[in-house]
Amino acid sequence: MKILLIEDDREAASYLIQALDESGHVTHHAADGETGYAMASGMDYDVLIVDRMLPRRDGLSIVEALRGEDNNTPVLILSALGEVDDRVTGLRAGGDDYLVKPYAFTELLARVEVLARRSSPAEAATSFEVGGLLLDRLSRKVERNGETILLQPREFRLLEYLMKNAGKVVTRTMLLENVWDYHFDPQTNVIDVHMSRLRGKIDKGYANPLLHTIRGAGYMIRE
Amino acid sequence: MFILIFVLFSVLLLGFISWQSNAQIQRQQANDISREVRALVRIDRNQGFPAVIYAIERLSSQPGPGVYYLTDLVGQRIGGNINEVPVEVLRDAGFHSFTYARPRAIDEGDDTVPLGNAIVQTVKLESGLTLVVGRDVVERRGFTAIVVDGFLWGVLGILVFSLIAGVLTSMRVLNRIDSITSTANAIMAGSLSERVPVTKRNDEFDALATSLNQMLDRIEALMQGLKEVTDNVAHDLKTPLTRLRNKAESALRDSSNGTVQREALETTITESEKLIKTFNALLMIARAEAGAPSGALAEVDLSTVAGDVAELYGPVAEEAGLVLDTKVTEGVKIHGNRELLGQALVNLIENALKYFEPQPGHDGKITIGVRAEGGRVLIEVSDNGPGIPEADRERVVERFVRLDSSRTEPGSGLGLSLVAAVARLHRGSFRLEDNVPGVRAVMDLPAG
Repeated sequence: MKILLIEDDREAASYLIQALDESGHVTHHAADGETGYAMASGMDYDVLIVDRMLPRRDGLSIVEALRGEDNNTPVLILSALGEVDDRVTGLRAGGDDYLVKPYAFTELLARVEVLARRSSPAEAATSFEVGGLLLDRLSRKVERNGETILLQPREFRLLEYLMKNAGKVVTRTMLLENVWDYHFDPQTNVIDVHMSRLRGKIDKGYANPLLHTIRGAGYMIRE
Repeated sequence: MFILIFVLFSVLLLGFISWQSNAQIQRQQANDISREVRALVRIDRNQGFPAVIYAIERLSSQPGPGVYYLTDLVGQRIGGNINEVPVEVLRDAGFHSFTYARPRAIDEGDDTVPLGNAIVQTVKLESGLTLVVGRDVVERRGFTAIVVDGFLWGVLGILVFSLIAGVLTSMRVLNRIDSITSTANAIMAGSLSERVPVTKRNDEFDALATSLNQMLDRIEALMQGLKEVTDNVAHDLKTPLTRLRNKAESALRDSSNGTVQREALETTITESEKLIKTFNALLMIARAEAGAPSGALAEVDLSTVAGDVAELYGPVAEEAGLVLDTKVTEGVKIHGNRELLGQALVNLIENALKYFEPQPGHDGKITIGVRAEGGRVLIEVSDNGPGIPEADRERVVERFVRLDSSRTEPGSGLGLSLVAAVARLHRGSFRLEDNVPGVRAVMDLPAG
């Protein structure tokens, strides 16, 4: 994946570039807003990671300008401002996701990889299929190898989000944000309990589990 | 300045009044003269000139402002109470005004000839005589002078009085303002507990002083709060930071074993994550206490929020051996911040979960309640756990306060302070009640 990182903190930038590189992504770096905007509008990237506060041009204005040019590259905004309204302004400016500093790299990586798929057909698909597990978004039915699985509405949304991002790591905060629409850090293991119930419904009795726990990061659904 | 304007207006008013009264008197005199002339003309016509001469004789002998003069066909004086009349007055009929020598009264001893001003009407009688009838205007002038005099004294009196009153009032006002200024100076110099003195007069200044004092109370409380936060931050962030540093240093020294270092690094990350959480909680409380910008407040369906949170925490509670129940009235709405209200509810539930002690034959139960009650909205989380001793209930809401018995439990000690801050942000209050057994945490918010 080709990523553009617009971040003025050199230390944070070099750490991110190295870590993204180790995860198999090519990362270009711009240290100020003007350079970043020029690179973003001049080249094709899969994902842009934009710091909100930058010298010479602020992050939100870059995103707004790109959207104004019909450039729909997915954007992850990084910011130290974490209030609800800060997040709302960030997303309203055209950002696709918003991550508050300080963050864990696993969280950033998971979000970047999920974002890259935003533009793919999976977003609009009416059904998903992973290793014999079938989820139909229209009839809201789930079955595995032809056997119907009954899910609560919230469990359905959990599974839907996981299957939409099949093969990608999904973190607990991403699940809380996308399935429950809350943006705080869960103190206890609330998400884990929901996941173990979901696992009990879709994986119990099958030799090959589909729902995997990725240690130190989150969850993933794959064959 | 105001006195100048006052004087100017007084003078203008005085001028206007004397001019008006002058004109009025003049009209009156002219009317009197005309009436007398008409009467004399009638006498001349009906009874002949001897009757006129007789009438003039009689009128002239009466004291008063009347001026009379009568001549024959050739202009010789034949009657009246003045000796001479200017030629043009005699020649032209109509109204005239002239200066004349007043005839001296017999008992007046001095030699000066008093001069008088007169308004007269000249008329040629049918019998051929010329009659001049008029009024001395000294009387009129005298009246005007009295009016002007009285008025001047009045103005002077008012001036002196208002000057004294003005000086007294401004002295009092300046004194009061001085006391406020000196209080402000004392506060700026660092003595935050100074207050503006309030008198018993209960006037506008006292109202101002009371408001200022209330503002100062609020500021002092905020400053106190800030100091407490800084102290607590210093304590609760510095301690884990020191621990973090110590751990890293000792791992660095112990370079022989790779796994020890790896473990040390992992603890470092866990510790720093805890620190970040504490820090985030502190920021959130600070933001909530400062009052969120109005843009962040919107209509929130509390019943839905409570339902969502109950659904989110239901499985965890079940796992811990508790029942999470809801007693939620549908459609309770409030103008507020959904995220913060949700977070507050989550904190209350996590608290109830954290302090629950499983006992045989005792089923743990947490109940989330949302209801509207007479203009208020009550959000309650009750449990039947060990409860909080009454003496500690106020204290646990403060920042970082954790009862000694729970020091070993994980958590930042900020959960309930955030709930209290969120309640205050929504202009409400937060309290802990006895649920016999257990605790009932109540967020009491105004509806709408």
